[in-house]
Amino acid sequence: MSTAQGRGTHAKAILGPELYAKLENTHVLLVGAGGIGCELLKNIVLTGFGRITLLDLDTIDLSNLNRQFLFRKKDVKQSKALVAAQTASAFNPNVKITPIHDNIKEPQYDIPWFQQFDLVLNALDNLDARRHVNRMCMAGNVPLVESGTAGYLGQVQPLLKDRTECFDCIPKPTPKTFPVCTIRSTPSQPIHCIVWSKSYLMGQLFGEDEDADAGGELDAAEKEGENAQEIDALRKEATAFKAVRDALRSPTNQDAAHLVFQKVFNADIKNLLSMSDMWKSRSPPIPLDFEGIMNGSFVLRQGANADASTSKLPEAALKDQRTLTLKDNVSLFIDSTNRLADRLRNGEDTISFDKDDDDTLDFVTAASNLRSSAYGIETKTRWEVKEMAGNIIPAIATTNAIVSGLIVLQALQLLRKSYDKLRNVHLQFKPAVPLSTISLSLPNAQCGVCRDTYAVLRCDPARATLGEVVKGLLGDDEREVSVYEGQRVLSDPDWDDNNERTLESLSVTRGKFLAIVDEEGELTTLSVGIALLPDDHPADAPPFILPSPLPQPARRVKPPPPAPETPHKANGNGKRLLPVELDDGVIDMAPTPKKPKRNGLAPASVPNGPVSVGTKRKATGREGEEDKSSPSKKRRLEEEGLVVMDGVDDKLEEEPDFILIDD
Amino acid sequence: MAATNDSQTIEEATTGMESAPDQKTRRYDRQLRLWAKSGQAALESSHILVLSSSSTSTSVLKNLVLPGIGQFTILDRTITSPSDAGNNFFLEGQDSVGKPRAEEAVRLLLELNDGVKGHSIVNKDVKEVLGTEDGVEWLKGTFSLVIAHNLEKGALDQLSDVLWKDAKSPPLVVIRSAGFLAEVFIQFHEHAVIDSHLDTTPSLRIDKPFPALLKHSLEIDFENMDVTDHGHVPYVYILVRVLEEWKQAHGGNPPKTSDEKKEFKAIISKMRKKADEENFEEAEAQAFKCWSSTVVPYDIKSLFGAENVAPHTKPFHLLLKALEVYTTTVEPYTLPLSATLPDMKASTGQYVEIQRLYKDRAVEERDTFKAILDKIIAEQGEDASLIDDEVIDDFVKNSHILRLLKGKKWGALDQDKEKLAEAAASEESSKQLGIHLALSALSSLQANAKKQKLTAEAKAILPEGVELPDEHFDNAIGEAARSPTADLPNTAAFLGGVVAQETIKMITKQYVPINGYCTIDLVETWSGVL
Repeated sequence: MSTAQGRGTHAKAILGPELYAKLENTHVLLVGAGGIGCELLKNIVLTGFGRITLLDLDTIDLSNLNRQFLFRKKDVKQSKALVAAQTASAFNPNVKITPIHDNIKEPQYDIPWFQQFDLVLNALDNLDARRHVNRMCMAGNVPLVESGTAGYLGQVQPLLKDRTECFDCIPKPTPKTFPVCTIRSTPSQPIHCIVWSKSYLMGQLFGEDEDADAGGELDAAEKEGENAQEIDALRKEATAFKAVRDALRSPTNQDAAHLVFQKVFNADIKNLLSMSDMWKSRSPPIPLDFEGIMNGSFVLRQGANADASTSKLPEAALKDQRTLTLKDNVSLFIDSTNRLADRLRNGEDTISFDKDDDDTLDFVTAASNLRSSAYGIETKTRWEVKEMAGNIIPAIATTNAIVSGLIVLQALQLLRKSYDKLRNVHLQFKPAVPLSTISLSLPNAQCGVCRDTYAVLRCDPARATLGEVVKGLLGDDEREVSVYEGQRVLSDPDWDDNNERTLESLSVTRGKFLAIVDEEGELTTLSVGIALLPDDHPADAPPFILPSPLPQPARRVKPPPPAPETPHKANGNGKRLLPVELDDGVIDMAPTPKKPKRNGLAPASVPNGPVSVGTKRKATGREGEEDKSSPSKKRRLEEEGLVVMDGVDDKLEEEPDFILIDD
Repeated sequence: MAATNDSQTIEEATTGMESAPDQKTRRYDRQLRLWAKSGQAALESSHILVLSSSSTSTSVLKNLVLPGIGQFTILDRTITSPSDAGNNFFLEGQDSVGKPRAEEAVRLLLELNDGVKGHSIVNKDVKEVLGTEDGVEWLKGTFSLVIAHNLEKGALDQLSDVLWKDAKSPPLVVIRSAGFLAEVFIQFHEHAVIDSHLDTTPSLRIDKPFPALLKHSLEIDFENMDVTDHGHVPYVYILVRVLEEWKQAHGGNPPKTSDEKKEFKAIISKMRKKADEENFEEAEAQAFKCWSSTVVPYDIKSLFGAENVAPHTKPFHLLLKALEVYTTTVEPYTLPLSATLPDMKASTGQYVEIQRLYKDRAVEERDTFKAILDKIIAEQGEDASLIDDEVIDDFVKNSHILRLLKGKKWGALDQDKEKLAEAAASEESSKQLGIHLALSALSSLQANAKKQKLTAEAKAILPEGVELPDEHFDNAIGEAARSPTADLPNTAAFLGGVVAQETIKMITKQYVPINGYCTIDLVETWSGVL
């Protein structure tokens, strides 16, 4: 028996000849060649899938090698997709693996592109891309298996339009944000100082020239009722960055790092101290004295760094787990600032934080520790800063192996159409029940992604106009609609200024969606994905091909009345804001009840209460990022004495509906 | 850390600091965040023996080589067949066919991590090793853990007997799989876990405040306090204060009835100066801590007095004895205080202060504990160097989540008629038992057994008169008969993950491993422990 025959023996015995024969011609898209992706690629090659397209944006890093077993040390910095495809092809020459080193969100990966696959497997490391693939699969009606791991935890979820929940049927929590003044003037925890150095200081010194967002952030904070005097001081501080920015870029200035230190850890702090009101009830920060620290004469308050100088240091401690003294931090700050400045002088336009970029990690470590010292907050080691600033999630081979095995099993059930065997699987921490499996739920009737009616519009966006396209898509239907792309309103029943414009001039191009929203809120939204005309489309024919038959939106399912105490807020995270008619006849522009977001560093959301019938909103913003954690489950449970929430990492103890994320 | 020398230039100072980690730390970065330096060191000094080079076995090894075990040895005389070559990622297709499978697998596995050593033994099998005294000593003395995949019954029984007889022997991980069915069992006498990473938090001891905490709480002048300060008093102080005043008015008792508890919360609520003081909200939400008494948790108390059966857990038992003495003789008869505080609404200064209070007290209590331990070690005539300070700190810090697992011998279940009857009758465990029996039957009959014969074999294990629910039993036997030897890649991948994970838990002595027969049905994506 040859290897080729031998290869199939086991798989055929298990899958049966019929399904096994199908595998050879099954075209699978695997998105991600990281922790899960490597394992998964091996599994689907061994299982006998014949055609695999593997897409990944990333290159190989040394820290991948403890689990991404298709890569070797010599492959570091190479494309993950290319190397993984090469290693795995060698195992089975009969399988055709097409690697693509690219971002899945690029416009050419449109609905027709997704539809060439029989199955999509997600092995992604970020929520944004996972949601994007989910949407494309819902739009193209392509079966998808979703997955994620974090440390010992993992999750696998098969998704199929109209049959199961989609990835967005249950809102996902967004990362924690902090009030802007906590970050900018009154930090009280190490994480505040880390966020400050990573997101604010790095941007001010090494980021884009005009930090427009910083100004906007302060405006928003002022509106939220933050201390006006404080905001004013912060504005001044921001404008004074110009001098040090220039110094960092000047080829002759040898003193730039020192200037930065003086401004940020001395002058700016003095400036804040001048507002005596602020420090009546808080212990005020202490301006750092560069020379004093370097010659040992500068003494901070008792406590702040006492730990660092007296704590015992086991000899064997990993190098970057050592606690740095105040002087160490100053030295590291100067050194890393110089390294970053050199990079600017050698042609890099901007530098932003990257956990794997040692220069930026050193800078953020030193800057956050110096700020912590000034404020009497405990300092962190480089190791800890890396985890906190880089949102590092622990990752090991074992969890990825388990999850990848489960993904293929779910994929086979999907291909076999054994829908009753599909399971949402969680890999848990409990030794007695390693796997928790749940039968799949039906789609959430209010889901803003999978409850839309999808269609493809092949067109030439440079010639097709908004008006004719919308009219064509509605056919004989004369109902009133509003039209959106992403967060932007393009037209509504009382506003048709854009109808004569081409789709291209409205930035409605390949890969984007036109959302046609029923004005009465009776029908589901029609989401039309823009794709290109076929090559053989005659030049003199109309510049678009309508889907045939025309898509027929279904009747909307009325949402349950919202919980009374929660104000309605703009919907978040890529979901369209679908006006929904409530029982009391009010049109709610954001149907999902949400906890109001605290003013934070995340993009501001547009306050958006219920709007009366007939009121039109011309706003361009339809949505914003938002804190979606359930408002008070934690509190309620605590009231009942059910959970004790005083762990080191006090977090919401929600059952994870999804899991982030192994890269 | 010693302050850097004043005469150094900045450049010297920073280069000398070596803040950037070495290559090894970077390679293992993501896992060090799970099991830390101590876990990694344990892995790196381990030597694992694997008694097969099947697809499942190499999947397990892959997941052990990647995180960096010290060494592994594969003992297997199998010659690579074409069907192996198509099924096992750690073989080189046609090139490997006809060559010793273990040798090929070791070579390819070692490509994954040059920090790991690998050996293959292809001229004998485990029965031959067990046949000589030297062989037995080698098995017991060389390895940290032994893994056996689909080892035939005779050899497996002999191996488990030998390892069980001597409590010093390494643990034995048994894997049996057929198609979509599998079972994993770890044989060990005793396994002690200090850092179980369990998600329970230590008590803040609000109901039994230590003197400095009580004093500080009583000294706070809430009434004359500045409004901003008032909104930043940590809730712990608020609760300690209100509880102390309540006790004085109620004969030394905390709130008991539901009305009293409501009243207690109302007192806290009334203390606010502004409606939105978050620290008072926190105090109300955490008020239950005032009436749930801090005691030694049941899970810990039940460990006291446990018999020490394996020599490697001796230090743990000494520590446990010291903890027992501590909790029964030192007021307030609780576990030593933890220095870790949760985040709470407080100003920086207030937070640093309360941290210091807890830390100072935790150090005092640890020293008391250490004195007790020293005395016990001396009394028992043990060597004081048996337990170093780092382990003591670790033990005290984790004293609320300690675990001590008592294991069983492989196959003990099949001899235990009562247990079998109980499992068969219970809805909770009959599916597990069905899978266990089907795989047991398969391992005694080996491949090509007909379903009927398998059924008879499996039933013979059950005591007379005990029946298994047909559905579970038939499904399991059916799968065993359909694919008796198939090492399906996805089952192998799954098992590779599960077994390596449990192995890592055993080696690092962190996290709680599965104790019992972990049975798996991947048709249903189901797992359960028997």
